[in-house]
Amino acid sequence: MTKKEIFLTAAFKENSIWRQILGICSALAVTNLMMNSLIMGLGVIFSLALANFSISIIRFWTPRSVRMMVQTLIIAAYVIIVDIFLKANMPEISKQLGPYVGLIITNCILMGRAEAFASQNNPLDSMVDGIGAGVGYTLVLLVISFFRELFGFGSVFGIKVFGAWWTNWSIMVMAPSAFFLLAILIWIINTHYYKVKA
Amino acid sequence: MKDSFWFPIVFMLIIVIIFAGILSVMYRTSQPKIEAYQQETYQKLILGTVAAKLAEVTEETQQSIMDSYPESYQTHVQELDIPGLERRAFRAVVADSTIAYCFEIGGKGLWGTMQALVSTSTDFRTLLDLALVSQQETPGLGARIEEDWFLAQFRNRLFVINPESDTDVTGSYEFIAETQVPENDGQLKRVTGATITSDAVLKMLRDEMNHIYNYLRNKSL
Repeated sequence: MTKKEIFLTAAFKENSIWRQILGICSALAVTNLMMNSLIMGLGVIFSLALANFSISIIRFWTPRSVRMMVQTLIIAAYVIIVDIFLKANMPEISKQLGPYVGLIITNCILMGRAEAFASQNNPLDSMVDGIGAGVGYTLVLLVISFFRELFGFGSVFGIKVFGAWWTNWSIMVMAPSAFFLLAILIWIINTHYYKVKA
Repeated sequence: MKDSFWFPIVFMLIIVIIFAGILSVMYRTSQPKIEAYQQETYQKLILGTVAAKLAEVTEETQQSIMDSYPESYQTHVQELDIPGLERRAFRAVVADSTIAYCFEIGGKGLWGTMQALVSTSTDFRTLLDLALVSQQETPGLGARIEEDWFLAQFRNRLFVINPESDTDVTGSYEFIAETQVPENDGQLKRVTGATITSDAVLKMLRDEMNHIYNYLRNKSL
């Protein structure tokens, strides 16, 4: 596969959220504001790309018995790097994201891509796969958060779109709305993209 | 070789040393920046909680007081050492006279502890202003307690209504929905989707104001 095909497969054809149903917890938790989703997405892209790259480099020497421990350690190290970088250089955003940056470590997408792709392919392809999977994840987060922020707060990226006449939909701010929106998104994609019949 | 007993242990050890080393370097190089930012933020929060009172006394504006940080902080804020209180305490001074106090307080939120700074009148009965130092609430839900409309509800509130009582001296306030309009002074708006966090903030303020008042009521600072 070419690099472009690897990217497109990871980002769309085999998208982690709508195709593999991975990373759902964070997709539900951080999508009430678009800025949170974007930063979370960027953190995942960075961690995923570099973790995949590193895991792929050492794949020939990694003993099978400890491979998951090694993968978790590498993922955790990159996530902590993201956390330290945000605290030192973008403290406001670091504060907004609160505990979610640390939770990237537990994001199933990272372990999933490390196990399914990085441990069997070359470092460059693995990095492209990581970026693709991260971009696909970020796009889903942004789509869900767009509707949740728009109807829940009347704004997009914190900029007020609706005037004073708008009554915020409280349900959109709460977690259940993410379930509905994610389900609708998966239904639309399955029907129109994968042509899945009920 | 990969299947030997020692190889996985040695391999794991090498990986740990490499990544722990990278993280140590990264942390050590970023630490001064993180600490400087934390100190500046903390001092600005203290100054912010007493800025309105300072503006009232000095006839400067709150904005000009905040803009002249760190000079304004060095001129008007002094840290106090109060044995037994177990909370950091500061006083705001103008021409050697104390015009307000500021205390670091803490409480339990939904996911973890919350820390805040409250400024009080010199008799410790009225909460002048407050600012949150840290909280671990849900971003977009409980974390909205940092929004100004929520915090503004507590400004200039008399918390110690019955100063003669030795037990609960704090006033009673109740929460209403965010979209409702308060019918009286005792009603406060809670953050939608964050009932427990909103209640936790009020509980923290009640408990801490109660403690501070009871501890300092008969002491001269």
